[in-house]
Amino acid sequence: MKSSATIISLSLMAAVLAGCTEEAGGDNAAAESGSCESADVRLVGQVRNESNPYEASWLAGGDAFAQSVGLKQERLTYDGDSTKQQEQISQILAGDTKCLVMNVLPNGDSDTAPIVKGADSAGAYLVTQWNKPADLKPADHKTWLSHITYNGVESGQQIGDALATAIGGSGGIIALQGVLDTAAAKDRFAGLEASLAKNTGVKLLDQQAANFSRAEALTVTKTLLTKHGDNVKGIWAANDDMALGALEALQQAGKAGKVAVVGIDAVPDAVGAVQKGDMTATVSSDGTWQGGIGLAIGYCVATGKLKAADIAADNRAFFAKQFLVTKDNAAGFATPKTNPADFECANVFNRVAGPLT
Amino acid sequence: MSVPALEVRGLVKHYPGVKALDGVDLVVRPNEVLGLAGENGAGKSTLLKALVGLVAPDAGEIFVRGEPVRLRSVVEAANHGIGMVFQEQSLVPNLTAAENIVLGSEGSAVRRGVYRWDTMRRLAQEQLDKIGSDIDPLARTDSLSFAERQMVEIAKVLRIEERSQHPPVIILDEPTSVLESKEIETLFAQIRRLREFASVVFVSHRLDEVLDVCDRVTVLRGGQSVGEVATAGAVPGELHKLMIGSTGSDDHYHSGAASLVAAEQPRLSVRKLSGRSFQEVDLDVAAGEIVGIVGVHGSGREDVCRALFGAEPTTAGEIRMDGKKIDLPHTRAACAAGIGYVPAERKIEGMVGAMSVADNMTLTKQKARCTGPFVAPKKQATLVDRWIERLSIRTPGRDTAIGRLSGGNQQKVVLARWLVGGDIKLLLLDHPTRGLDIGARSEVYRLMRELAGSGVATVLLADSLEEAIGMADRILVMSDGRVVAEVACPNGGKPSPLDLVKEMV
Amino acid sequence: MTLTSAVATAPRRQSRRGASFRDAGPPVALVVIFGIFAALSPQFRSVDNVQNIVDAAAVLAVVTSGITFVLMMGSIDLSAAGVMGASALTVSLLVANNRNDNDYGLLGIGAAVLLGCAFGCLSGLALVLLKVPSFMATLGVSAIGLGVATLMFAGVQPNITDTMLESWAIERFLGFSYLAWIAAACILVGWLIQRYTRLGRYAFAIGGAEEVLTLSGVRVKPYKVAVFTLAGAFYGLGGVMVTSQLGAGLVQAGDGYDFSAITAAVVGGTLLTGGRGGILHSAVGVLLVMVLTNGLVQVGVSPYWQGGVEGLIVVAAVAAAVIPQRRRNQVVK
Repeated sequence: MKSSATIISLSLMAAVLAGCTEEAGGDNAAAESGSCESADVRLVGQVRNESNPYEASWLAGGDAFAQSVGLKQERLTYDGDSTKQQEQISQILAGDTKCLVMNVLPNGDSDTAPIVKGADSAGAYLVTQWNKPADLKPADHKTWLSHITYNGVESGQQIGDALATAIGGSGGIIALQGVLDTAAAKDRFAGLEASLAKNTGVKLLDQQAANFSRAEALTVTKTLLTKHGDNVKGIWAANDDMALGALEALQQAGKAGKVAVVGIDAVPDAVGAVQKGDMTATVSSDGTWQGGIGLAIGYCVATGKLKAADIAADNRAFFAKQFLVTKDNAAGFATPKTNPADFECANVFNRVAGPLT
Repeated sequence: MSVPALEVRGLVKHYPGVKALDGVDLVVRPNEVLGLAGENGAGKSTLLKALVGLVAPDAGEIFVRGEPVRLRSVVEAANHGIGMVFQEQSLVPNLTAAENIVLGSEGSAVRRGVYRWDTMRRLAQEQLDKIGSDIDPLARTDSLSFAERQMVEIAKVLRIEERSQHPPVIILDEPTSVLESKEIETLFAQIRRLREFASVVFVSHRLDEVLDVCDRVTVLRGGQSVGEVATAGAVPGELHKLMIGSTGSDDHYHSGAASLVAAEQPRLSVRKLSGRSFQEVDLDVAAGEIVGIVGVHGSGREDVCRALFGAEPTTAGEIRMDGKKIDLPHTRAACAAGIGYVPAERKIEGMVGAMSVADNMTLTKQKARCTGPFVAPKKQATLVDRWIERLSIRTPGRDTAIGRLSGGNQQKVVLARWLVGGDIKLLLLDHPTRGLDIGARSEVYRLMRELAGSGVATVLLADSLEEAIGMADRILVMSDGRVVAEVACPNGGKPSPLDLVKEMV
Repeated sequence: MTLTSAVATAPRRQSRRGASFRDAGPPVALVVIFGIFAALSPQFRSVDNVQNIVDAAAVLAVVTSGITFVLMMGSIDLSAAGVMGASALTVSLLVANNRNDNDYGLLGIGAAVLLGCAFGCLSGLALVLLKVPSFMATLGVSAIGLGVATLMFAGVQPNITDTMLESWAIERFLGFSYLAWIAAACILVGWLIQRYTRLGRYAFAIGGAEEVLTLSGVRVKPYKVAVFTLAGAFYGLGGVMVTSQLGAGLVQAGDGYDFSAITAAVVGGTLLTGGRGGILHSAVGVLLVMVLTNGLVQVGVSPYWQGGVEGLIVVAAVAAAVIPQRRRNQVVK
């Protein structure tokens, strides 16, 4: 009995010691930032899936950056499954992590913490995008270099204003909301409300959730068109998929071109529609840039061209610049491509629109 | 003598640990009704299964019209003209009667996968005409009564006549066990009609029936044929003797053990109970008393029984146990008040087939096997073993799945479920001996007497009038949902079945 | 037994053919719910909106027709989402589109439906040969379908330019879109299969009592595979119809249709245990669900409330529908 207790306490001690050493190793890796040869850097990009244009362009951007530095990006997709994402991360971290750079789209806010923790203790360089809990800050971590997101209130307002202009400042509009309990849906709709407060002539006739889905937007829009008839002058959609569904509904109702439609995300079809004049506006977060920039920041730190300690506090978590796409500038967004200059180590924070508050 | 329609010589079938068939011989002559009698476990069902290709015998031969055959499936058996009406009905409930009749041999009724309903109805009608049934071939099977479904089943089996181009051999496995007497009479008329063009093998545990309808009876015991009796002039006692190897006890119902009922305050008292199919039923049962309720199908007696257990909604009336009112009838309240219910549909409502004997026995009275919220394995084992012994339940062990026991032993486990708690006051027995053979019945009867002797009040829905008369101290007759008569039924002063029938209609 | 002749059963014959009143629940619920919405909202009862409901019901009706056969058999099918996605991408890449120079028109549509058949067949084979429960087998096939669709998607959404396929969603005949007529045709075909073919009747019978079929010498397995294949064809067509509606081939074309279709079928009175219900029941179920979603928007229920309200009404409708069948201590799983 006594001896077994001894063994247990010994092994516990050993475990604690091992944990300490490991942590120390992590510290070393961070301290040694800059020691990696360019060829030793391992680039990983992780998104939900490749089956939608936005995330596909994200991975394409990552490939483009990797190619520019003579490397290959490892593509990971987790089908919107939080468990699967965590498994993939721990698998990656179980390998050689010394010069590992990860550009990750966490599935939801709560998925960010374990990823950060894993990267921290393994000494892997991490950039996250879109989702994180407010109280979790990259500045408190050594290798979590930055968190990039976009101001949904701003984009919701931008397209709201564009819609108001398109219908001549007065008339009824309907709003298609995303999945109601997501931050993106809430922020974007708050932006619309701000826009409505400014454009007093515009009246919100109805708002329905179409869950970011093209098919649901089609059905809901058709229903709302029969409900409100010709009073509908404009349709505000919280993303482009729903905007495209609304366009189909207008076409099927014989109202194509008579109602203005706006969306967010600048997926290729939406940009095309803007170019043709079917859609009024969309907002681009520039998915290819997102895919490249996370890897670029990590690569710069890993190879010593940028010191983690030197990154300004405001740049550790920031809103990136987004672009209103209208008929005038749509051509430039039609074929998404990366600009190598964006990924120069001196320029990686050029698109900071403001600190994440 | 003509060539037998079907002959079995020296059939042997082993199951692990059991020799189900030990060299059975059987001869079925053309145009005769052969009875097959034997206690449960005598090998009847294994023999029947071998005859329709569901069981492959280890040794022995089967001859059809003098030709040796091997039967590997129901279809092969059918092609040789052998068909069986299964004890558990084998019709698809949600198809029409016609589809069931032609199922598997649709012939011209289905061309290139497309149904031709007219042809199908005609084919089915031809079969129904053979037995003179007026069932609508296009009626959904589950809308038919049990007896009607049996007719459909016979019609279905008769279709093998066209298939084999020979007079068929029709096997009826316990066809009467769930029929009312009128329906049984109709069935017997059918069997006599079948004899005109077919051979029939009739299996029943009711010896009087066997003697009534059969020309000849073969008795099985221990997997062997132990005797053959021509039915003309034979009496049940003779058959019974062959079946069990000695003369059966005359006092089948253990009347000697009947307890004397003290006329005190009734244990169960029901006043003006009304429900969906019964009205203003009054019923008193004293401690130690067995009260039978009889009535034809649709008299409402099953529903009354279920209502007492709270398993059937009531609209008015009250139920008191020992003077205490059970309000809001509910199965839980009934259990708590010491009422136990043995349902008629044993396999569906009475037991959980895949669970062990022990678990089935302690299903209701969880407390009896638990310490706090946890099952105490030792406590359960001791308890269960005690009851297995007391009721002489034949089972390999307490952990055997109940579904593998014979019907009689299953029923004993179901009964034991109410006894293990030690607080049973009233037992509701809904056809407790249905499907059991004589030996098993007798044991259930003995058990009922024993329980009554210990003060348990019993309400019995008997399988037959004889059973009700034999067991009950008092009989209530129900008709159209009302109690129409009460007949005292003391030892030595038993009424005749006819007395009761007079009241029933 | 000596007392036989004296006892007579009361002559009690009821209508035993065709629809009995226990099937009347869902249609009654449909009429009641339609009536309530019509009373509450003038827009709801407009001709435009009725057309709108029927148009919106088209795809769900086709998918539900397919799933109904599987449910009747007592199996379950969760492959609709994946099969529809694969079929949507297939058809959008085979008819005139912006990704390649294909222009196979009807042939392309046929190919997409055949692909659906193939996926259905795969589910069926996994069920009968590998003995994988239908729940898991079809879930796996759905994942395969989504995988195939993602491969074909390859990062760029194919937009269709085929005028015929586009016209399905836009052109109207007697007030209803071509899609609605296609759905009606599917229901008719489904009904004919269910009523007049061995496949349909056996699917029904398998759900009722599979072991009886075996005892009667029927080989059940081929029919199971055939039923899944048939269902796959319906899903394939459903994917084509979504593509026509959205004007593009989406991997997500079938998102949510698996569970909506099962819901619609069950609301219509097709039991998950098999052996009950049928195509016409399911059609009523589809209309019920569509009337509900449309009506809640028309009467102006807040989107924050709709999900909950819709769920409540569905449960209430199902409960009302099964009241005539509820008896004694019937066990419900």
